[in-house]
Amino acid sequence: MRYLLQRIGQFIIVFVVVTFVVMCATRIGSKDVVRDLAGGTVGDEVIAKVEADYPYLDKPLVIQYGYWLKDMVTGNMGYSYAQSQSVIDMFQQRLPSTFFIGFWSIFLGLLIAVPLGIYSAYRRDGPVDRVASYSSFAFISTPPLVFAVFLLYFVALKIDTFPVLSNYIAPWDSPVEHFKNFFLPSLTLGLGLAAVWTRFLRADMILTLQSDFIMLARAKGMSPRRILYRHALRSSILSLITSVALQLSGLVGGAVIAEQFFGLAGIGTRLVFAVQQNDILVIQAITAVLVVVVVFVNLVVDLLYAVVDPRIRHARALG
Amino acid sequence: MMTFLKKIRRLHPTTLFASLWLGALTFLAIFAPVLPFVRGYGERVKGAGRFKFGPGADFLFGSDALGRDMFARCVYGAQISLRVAASSIIVGLLIGGSLGLAAGYLRGWIDRVVSILVDILLAFPALIISILIVGRFDVLQANNEAFGWLTRTWSITFVLSLLSIAPIARIVRAQTLSLSQREFVLAARSLGAKNGRVIFREILPNLIPAMTSVVFTGIAILLVSEGGLAFLGYSIKPPSPSWGLLVSENRERLQEAWWATIFPCIMLFVTVLAFNIIGDRVARRFDIREAAL
Amino acid sequence: MTTQAENRVETGTLIEVRALKTHFQTPRGVVRAVDGVDLTIERGKSLGIVGESGSGKTILSRSIMGLLPRYGTIREGSVSFQGQELIDRSPKEMRGIWGREMAMIFQDPMTSLNPLMKIGKQISEPLMAHLGMDRSSAWETAEKLLRDVRIPEAGRRLSQYPHEMSGGMRQRVMIAIALACGPTMLFADEPTTALDVTVQAQILQLINEQRRERNMSLILVTHDLGVVAGNTDEIAVMYGGKIVEKAPTRTLFAHMKMPYTEALLQSIPKMDQPSHSRLAVIPGRPPDLVNPPAGCRFAPRCAYARERCQVEEPQLVAAESPQHVYACFYPVGSPEYLERKVELSRRTDTNQGGR
Repeated sequence: MRYLLQRIGQFIIVFVVVTFVVMCATRIGSKDVVRDLAGGTVGDEVIAKVEADYPYLDKPLVIQYGYWLKDMVTGNMGYSYAQSQSVIDMFQQRLPSTFFIGFWSIFLGLLIAVPLGIYSAYRRDGPVDRVASYSSFAFISTPPLVFAVFLLYFVALKIDTFPVLSNYIAPWDSPVEHFKNFFLPSLTLGLGLAAVWTRFLRADMILTLQSDFIMLARAKGMSPRRILYRHALRSSILSLITSVALQLSGLVGGAVIAEQFFGLAGIGTRLVFAVQQNDILVIQAITAVLVVVVVFVNLVVDLLYAVVDPRIRHARALG
Repeated sequence: MMTFLKKIRRLHPTTLFASLWLGALTFLAIFAPVLPFVRGYGERVKGAGRFKFGPGADFLFGSDALGRDMFARCVYGAQISLRVAASSIIVGLLIGGSLGLAAGYLRGWIDRVVSILVDILLAFPALIISILIVGRFDVLQANNEAFGWLTRTWSITFVLSLLSIAPIARIVRAQTLSLSQREFVLAARSLGAKNGRVIFREILPNLIPAMTSVVFTGIAILLVSEGGLAFLGYSIKPPSPSWGLLVSENRERLQEAWWATIFPCIMLFVTVLAFNIIGDRVARRFDIREAAL
Repeated sequence: MTTQAENRVETGTLIEVRALKTHFQTPRGVVRAVDGVDLTIERGKSLGIVGESGSGKTILSRSIMGLLPRYGTIREGSVSFQGQELIDRSPKEMRGIWGREMAMIFQDPMTSLNPLMKIGKQISEPLMAHLGMDRSSAWETAEKLLRDVRIPEAGRRLSQYPHEMSGGMRQRVMIAIALACGPTMLFADEPTTALDVTVQAQILQLINEQRRERNMSLILVTHDLGVVAGNTDEIAVMYGGKIVEKAPTRTLFAHMKMPYTEALLQSIPKMDQPSHSRLAVIPGRPPDLVNPPAGCRFAPRCAYARERCQVEEPQLVAAESPQHVYACFYPVGSPEYLERKVELSRRTDTNQGGR
């Protein structure tokens, strides 16, 4: 329990620092914050409205931050005057796209990495291992941008099934269309992730496979599949999960590029636009949400440790 | 000379390839203005507009919409991207390296402060901060006389350096920590050597392998970042031909004029790969562990 | 191919090992860990294999069972189990035997049990895989097995994890796992080394009890002569990858022939020795298994070695009874031996107190 409190404390500090810095950054070089907030060149009524809604814009930065924080905590994420849309509505509209890109990228990455990593460790230095090793090194070096271009060229343009520009279609509306639209963007990011995780899992599994309990499982006459997936993987899965969490912040950047490239209307494209316009509240809101998500995922990973490893579970329960 | 050639032959083929590529690229990048077969990157050749030429003898990588030589643009793109990435990594090395060194060697409260700082820096969403700062600096430059010098080149270098500090500090700290425990450091100190001397003569030389690996791998990562930023429109402004920009410029025409997008992609990919290969080889040769990460 | 279960014999030879060699490819060269071993094990009998670390005893037991690393291993000779040759069997074929007909208990139960899996599951696994039991019957059988190995509150223990148990209990669990499918052959690789002395005796007793009840054969590998003294029918002493003496237990202790065996026995600290007496150790180190010395492998360290020992390798010859074999030119009790012994005692008189 004390452990949980410690983590929450850390999270609060990180959240405050990051969002505060971002807020200050949005003010850099800006001649008139009110105008920025109002969306640039707008009529006086809009300016007046903005000034009425946000009367504290001439106060010191820390005070401004305080108001913003209060708003966030009470659920008021603000309003984008430039786009005439409340921030919450914006999230509702665009979050699913970004979420699914992230989700499917991780899914694809794991789908490829887990069997490949395990098999590479099992048949070490075999043909599969060598091929996987070289390709994963190459894939790690490939920027998402390059993946996107090649996928677009060799898949979308040559095969008609996949659209060049993707749209958001909910999976519950039409699974097939959803798949077609999200496959290429997710693959763009997923391949890079798969490469990292394959190497990681392979290294970890090789160590695990040298353990005594694997030898016992072998002596019990257990089949290789059972040993690999039920005994060895159980041990290596923890570090894999940690790696997933670590890759998350990089995934954010990748998602922005994938969205931009494949034309998906997600949070990433909105953010780029917001920076252009200095749509302050949008920028701050998106950053805040991102920080929360990343920290949340890290926390989940940490809790998963206790789920997977009974030794950690008992140690934590004791204190 | 003979021993040098023998050493080359013993190199792993990939390392050889990577070094050759980087060598050729650097040569082209530096001497581009004076090389006869490299046109100017902004030069528009009559009759080559609208992607008239595919890859061929005259236009090695074809021509683009405005009749510019793609090969030349890629070469100058190398110049720009490499310059920015290299300077950023060096700044990152100086600042991050000093912080890591101080934290790892002096430990105590310095270590705690630096570690917290590094953790916070790492918590920032890299892409968001990058485009935000570059965007704001643009505005700053436009609105404020005093900041007229703040071109995109400076902004990008600033941002990339900032992003490099934390990872480098982490690695240097880990290396310094483990080095500080080793006998030769203890020996030097027991002989009465002062801290500064120990740092310069014992620790720093032993950090060089790790630093070299970090520099190469770091440049690879920064090239990727810069490419991404350029694609989003947040790197050096056109007509300067950063690779990412080239991709975004010509993406629409991917089907007909594939050369205008694919070649910059290949350049980016192979260059990043080459840096990664060398960084990885150096790390493995000196057995540098990434345990810190 | 008939299953091994159908071939079960109640008495008679269970395992016959002929000229078994196990070599490993390493960067240093070929390590000849087991270099020509002959053994016979009857159903229901137990054999102790004794030797220092590096003698090849662990590799021998693994090699007989076939549990060797996939790469870089060279096995020669013959291992026949219930009349069937095992040497050229693929791992896939062996998997039907491992856990079912042959089982192994390992040295360190803390690392040998899967820390992330419940005990009950680890015992049920072979039951379900080899005997085709369903989960509930396997769980019940697992509970019965835990009781067989004298673990109290068996039902509760099934849902526990290894780290929640003491060392002795973990070893009992390992025994339960080994016994689960009713094997005819049990290999115990230093089963008590990682345990407290008080627990050691209990575990050995348990193993022997189960062995008699189930009419199992046992190969007990250890470096400790004390462990095999009361627990085995026959003892084989290994050195440098070869068996240097083999005899029924009583005979070995009463009439040992090999100076190495004698030295092993003497190196055991005894309770009734006066305090501060010097520990008798065997000087030197085990031989290099990549380039073993010519002649007798123990010669470099043997106090009784002579010229012949350095050049010619002694073969196994029978002693008074045919079941007792040894490989030595100047065994204990021979004239040369006694001669040397007198010399030695003259030299070391002042050093050895109360020998």
